[in-house]
Amino acid sequence: MLRRINDFVTTLPFWLIAVTMAAGGIACIVGCMLWFGATFDYTLQSVLTGSILLGIVTGVLGCFVTLKRQSLVGDVLAHAALPGVVIAFLIAGSGLSVLLVGAAIAGWLGLQVVSLILDTTRLKQDTALGIVLATFFGLGISILSYTQGREDAGRVGLDKFFFGQAATILGSDVLIISGITVIVLVIIIAFWKEFTLSTFDPEFAMTNGFAVRMYDLLLSSLVTITIVTGLQLAGVVLMAGMLVAPAVAARQWTDDLGEMVILSAIFGAIAGGLGAMLSGIGWGRPTGPMIIALAAMITFGSLVIAPARGMLWDWLQRWLDRHRFETENLLSDLYRFAERNQKKDYVLEEKLLIGLRGWFAYIGLRDLQRNGLITRKDSGWALTDEGYSRAEAEHQKRVQQQNQENA
Amino acid sequence: MQIDTKNAIQIENLTVAYRGKPALWDVSLTVPEGVLMAIVGPNGAGKSTLIKSMMNLVPRAGGTIKFYGKSYRQMRNSVAYVPQRASVDWDYPTSVLGVVLMGLYGQMGLFQRPGKKQKALAMEALEKVDMADFSGRPIAQLSGGQQQRTFLARALVQDAQIYLMDEPFAAVDAVTERAIVAILQELRSRERTVLVVHHDLQTLQEYFDHAALINQELFASGDIESTCTPENLRRTYGGQFMGWLAGEQ
Amino acid sequence: MQVIERLIIDFFLIFMSPETLRDILGNPQIVATVIGIFVAGSASLLGVWLVVRKMSLTAGAISRTVLLGIVGMFILLTDILNFPGDLESPLLIVGAAIAGLVTVYLTELVFSSGLVKEDAALGLVYPLLFAVALIAISEFVDDVHLDQDSVMLGEIGIAWLDFNEHCLENCDTVIITEDSPGARFGRECINCEPSGEFRPFDEGAIFEPICLNCGEIPASIAYNRGYTDVQPELIFFPKSITTTGLTALINLLFVGLFFKYLKISTFDSALASALGLRPGLWMYALMLLVSVTTVTAFSAVGAILIVAFFIVPPATAYLLTDRAAYMVIYSGLIGALSVITGYQLSQGRFLGILKIEPMLVFIDNNLLDLQGYTTWNTNVAGSIVTMTGFFFLLAWVVSPRYGVLSTMIRRRQQNQEFAEQMLLIFLKKQEKQINSTELPDLLQWTAAKTQRILKRALSRQVIQQNGNALELTETGHNQIEQFSLTS
Repeated sequence: MLRRINDFVTTLPFWLIAVTMAAGGIACIVGCMLWFGATFDYTLQSVLTGSILLGIVTGVLGCFVTLKRQSLVGDVLAHAALPGVVIAFLIAGSGLSVLLVGAAIAGWLGLQVVSLILDTTRLKQDTALGIVLATFFGLGISILSYTQGREDAGRVGLDKFFFGQAATILGSDVLIISGITVIVLVIIIAFWKEFTLSTFDPEFAMTNGFAVRMYDLLLSSLVTITIVTGLQLAGVVLMAGMLVAPAVAARQWTDDLGEMVILSAIFGAIAGGLGAMLSGIGWGRPTGPMIIALAAMITFGSLVIAPARGMLWDWLQRWLDRHRFETENLLSDLYRFAERNQKKDYVLEEKLLIGLRGWFAYIGLRDLQRNGLITRKDSGWALTDEGYSRAEAEHQKRVQQQNQENA
Repeated sequence: MQIDTKNAIQIENLTVAYRGKPALWDVSLTVPEGVLMAIVGPNGAGKSTLIKSMMNLVPRAGGTIKFYGKSYRQMRNSVAYVPQRASVDWDYPTSVLGVVLMGLYGQMGLFQRPGKKQKALAMEALEKVDMADFSGRPIAQLSGGQQQRTFLARALVQDAQIYLMDEPFAAVDAVTERAIVAILQELRSRERTVLVVHHDLQTLQEYFDHAALINQELFASGDIESTCTPENLRRTYGGQFMGWLAGEQ
Repeated sequence: MQVIERLIIDFFLIFMSPETLRDILGNPQIVATVIGIFVAGSASLLGVWLVVRKMSLTAGAISRTVLLGIVGMFILLTDILNFPGDLESPLLIVGAAIAGLVTVYLTELVFSSGLVKEDAALGLVYPLLFAVALIAISEFVDDVHLDQDSVMLGEIGIAWLDFNEHCLENCDTVIITEDSPGARFGRECINCEPSGEFRPFDEGAIFEPICLNCGEIPASIAYNRGYTDVQPELIFFPKSITTTGLTALINLLFVGLFFKYLKISTFDSALASALGLRPGLWMYALMLLVSVTTVTAFSAVGAILIVAFFIVPPATAYLLTDRAAYMVIYSGLIGALSVITGYQLSQGRFLGILKIEPMLVFIDNNLLDLQGYTTWNTNVAGSIVTMTGFFFLLAWVVSPRYGVLSTMIRRRQQNQEFAEQMLLIFLKKQEKQINSTELPDLLQWTAAKTQRILKRALSRQVIQQNGNALELTETGHNQIEQFSLTS
């Protein structure tokens, strides 16, 4: 029966699945809000909107990032951005856009250094990423502590920027996040073909005249800006996670990149919205961790139950196969004994069958009985007429097969 | 050195260095129009490097490569590439049709989406490789031979003059092998030029009419009969091809 | 722990006086350097294997997830088993170790489903574990000092302040009785609430003198409060020295004893499997030590410094040598050097030569408005990490074997050799004489390149020039013969 459900879900059109998920997510969010009586005040609005938008952006970008096997780049960028932020602060004060620009430049620089290390040394990607992550961050901390000597308001802004306090997010911050969301979506849609091909087969793309390096650069710039913007809301480690979880979840439900991106955006939005809502009503106060926890739940859930790829169906299939196999064996056992003793309805002790085939026999026997192939007699089982003819037929088939193989 | 514009490909003194070692050394090769030429040689001989350097995918230390007398950049739209299967992660979320359509991306503008015309061309190409039924299949579910045919279709859809293929026959099933051979014949009949990196000496004479023997240098090239003499093969392969030699006579 | 510290103190007292020892242990810089070197050493011993096995980022991930281990164990101890909340408990280390192993195990589990790639698996697992840790902290643990700053950054500069007290002389606990000279007295109402019915200001309240400080009191406290004149001789031993030192020792023993196994498991894991050596198990053991090292270093140096030590000096060593043993040694040395120069940097001296503050003054006056803040007294951990980056940069550019400079130089030489060979072969193949002026066209070289190669060939006497005509010399002919394509 479960198999029928699986088959059914596989044949559903994608848009139906997507809409259902989105609707479900919205229902959860609104439901939480009403049930727990959260006041829909300004802060909650901002956090909610910001989180949802952030979820969408990271979901979309995350698809390309994970397909390029660069899942950990978010973490690296978030750390590499620090020196940029602090230096920008020293140069031009603590306006948010200033800090963002500094972060973006530093992030971009970090990725260039990674490429350079990969191109000129025998160090591998994970080491190069780690080097940039640690050293840039260390440099940033060093300069940051220098500014700690200063006690102006700007310094406070810097703290808030990096260590993220979702509760203090402002409407202007949401505006920036919205702007970035729009930019990212527009660019992704505009350059859809280019991104797809560059990610799938960069060599082929180059032979077709695509400037693959440029598209890589564009993508990494978008990722940098997104990460840095989201730092305030969710913190460092969690932004990195949001680039991975929704994309991985979405991949389990579809084999088409377009659908994957849409679904990933939906998953990201749900995680963001629900996380913000739950944290807003006091259920685990820090917002970022709630969001990523939800995203992870969605992901692990997808890994298990998604039709076709999901692990659940794998296990199910194996269980069903084993069941069928064991049942056949039971039948042939009864047949063999019947033949040997020249009695069509020879009774085999249940204990013997269990001994032969293990505890699985219990289920197998009940199944055979249900199908009318065997019947209970005293403390054992015997083939019915139908069961006997079936067993006989199967036996013949097996013998034939063996003869063919030996021929 | 005359550059004969009638030749599909003319390579002069090509040298490619990789990390300080020569991968290809002073290779000069002429590929006339309309031939099916195999590039053969032992492992690591630089065969793939030759193909890739033709398309500027690897940098050159010296030499020139001309397509009908012009540079690759000018003739890019007339050259189609079939890379090795292993160069791509097949777990990518796209369908067979999606991959073939990618072959047309180079001809489409920035905001253009593949439309009916492109899809028709793609299906036509898939018909030729006998994969039309699989057009909606996710590529993650393809067998090796099916993957190869998909790549082939992607190249065919570009309707190029020159086709460069890297080990298309590697580890494919018999059905796929026959399909590829049929494609090669069809291309030749339409006077297209095909250059194929090939590893199997047994099928060389059967599938191709020309060959180039490469082992960092070019040892011989031309039509199969005069090129693939035991002497030439010995010089190219060093001691590696004794088995083939035994079967020759 | 105290016992070990005592032993160490006794050992050093053989060589020096208590005053000297006290000065040393009370010197922030020395203490910081010692701790830093221990940590750097531990991390280098382990980090080399991580770099080779491409598990550097796993170490980074573990540095975050150990938080969950600590928190989890803490909650287990306090809320469930109702032990008092002790942030120093060695059981927390056990929690951290478990967390590290769980991280690796979960990552492999997710990866083994076949549905997720390795990098994505890691990127899925550790943010989740970290998030759970943060949620758990905010839910269950209220007033403990697990604030993000100190977890992430630590403060090695003040590590010397967190110490255990050890007493050398006059250590007996002081017993104060009512007759002792230091006894202090107060008055207590013996029939007041709650035992009686009166309140202190009522009429019938009866007071009696009471000894306020009678009993057994530790010597140092008694002295500090003036109850006694006898001064105990104390040594203050920073705790972090013991923990990091112990960890370094364990790591050293592990790597030393099992060097061969580690080497083969990381450099050639296929061979290791074939030999039945179970490289996977060694990786798990490694990760266990990584977790333990991370958590013992937390309080002293913070997570980010640990990650840096696990990755950057080993990577630097990787650029300097091919041999595992040397990698470990170089890595340790570079780590130690980074600690020393890092501490200097935090105080404004770069490599003992450049001074930062004058530069700041310059910047303040001419480039940016620094509002007169020209003191550079900064976070030590950050400076140390910066120095590891500096040494990496140095090796990257200058390393004789793998450095960028030497590679460039080598490539140029090789390119020139090739070009010369091409020239020689070209000349040999010609039937008629070639003039040097014709070369650029014929070889498709730029005029500049032609000049360069010609000059080189002439100076090496492989060709000779009569007017403009070029000809191979005998040396040139020989060179063509000898040129081996496989060189």
